[in-house]
Amino acid sequence: MSSNNWISSALRALAEHDSGLEAPAEVETRVLAAFRKKRARRKLKTVALASLAVAAGITLFFARIHPQPKQVAPVPVRQQPIAVAAAPTPLPKATPKARPVKRQPREVVTQFFPLLDVAPPFESGELLRVTVPASTMRRVGLPVNEDHLTDRVYADVLVGQEGLARAIRFVSYEQ
Amino acid sequence: MILTDAALLEQALTGAEDAFTALYRRRQGGVYRFALQMTGSTAIAEDVTQEAFLALLLHGTRYDEARGTVASFLYGIARNLVLRRLDRRAWAELEIDDECAGPEDLLEDLTRRESIEQVRQAVLSLPPVFREAVVLCDLQDSSYEEAAMALGCPVGTVRSRLNRGRAMLARKLRGAAVV
Repeated sequence: MSSNNWISSALRALAEHDSGLEAPAEVETRVLAAFRKKRARRKLKTVALASLAVAAGITLFFARIHPQPKQVAPVPVRQQPIAVAAAPTPLPKATPKARPVKRQPREVVTQFFPLLDVAPPFESGELLRVTVPASTMRRVGLPVNEDHLTDRVYADVLVGQEGLARAIRFVSYEQ
Repeated sequence: MILTDAALLEQALTGAEDAFTALYRRRQGGVYRFALQMTGSTAIAEDVTQEAFLALLLHGTRYDEARGTVASFLYGIARNLVLRRLDRRAWAELEIDDECAGPEDLLEDLTRRESIEQVRQAVLSLPPVFREAVVLCDLQDSSYEEAAMALGCPVGTVRSRLNRGRAMLARKLRGAAVV
């Protein structure tokens, strides 16, 4: 028998002898326990992220309902010379005018733009109304004037059951 | 329907326990034997098997089906874990467990057992680079391509290491036979 054949058959004998050897059952138990622990941690992380997204959405929603009062720069008022009147003339009686009907602004929305390349199957979700800088519109390919990139615009964000923001649409109001 | 290793891994990474269990049961034996034949220690082989599958969970997304099989990816992980342990402990200090020999009733006679143990000792005494080629290709029945992926080297290197490893084994076993 040549040296190569002899070595091959010796190694084959060892391989056959060891072929039934396996890791003990305790190893499987430990590995599966680690797998479950990791899966539970990942679920917890998903829930935490979803809660954060909802909390952020609620905060933004309330911030929109109660906007901060705008600071208005003082407008200089030109002083008119005061004329001294001889006698007060009676003011004509104001006739009641018909009030113009206040029209509710009409909401105009764009289509939804996907935010995930490959989204997991959608089961349920929430639509959150938020404000975002106008530059966000550019990211999905909508035209925005350079001067208005930092303006805030309303948007609806669709958050899936796993807490991921899946799509966005932009909202404007027409009088 | 029997799912491929790659499909099982994909499902396991999304949290499917059934898929992970099936993949573990299908591949643990090979990983365990590889670690055992590389180190001669059942304790290390158990640790390596456990850590290799946990590492698969952590880094499984790096697996690329186009580059090789899940088995060779796992052997690559196991190999790194084994080498880390071989670095930590001097080779001379490694205890060779008698348990490696397997149950008595598997052996036909004492001569056969002795020869198998001689072969095992000879394999264990090879330098790690030659040993891993012999263990993967001759004992684990991996193809040259699979071994190359696991060892992170070209197929030609696997072939030459295997030839040198076999030649060294022949010398060692011939010497043992003379004694």
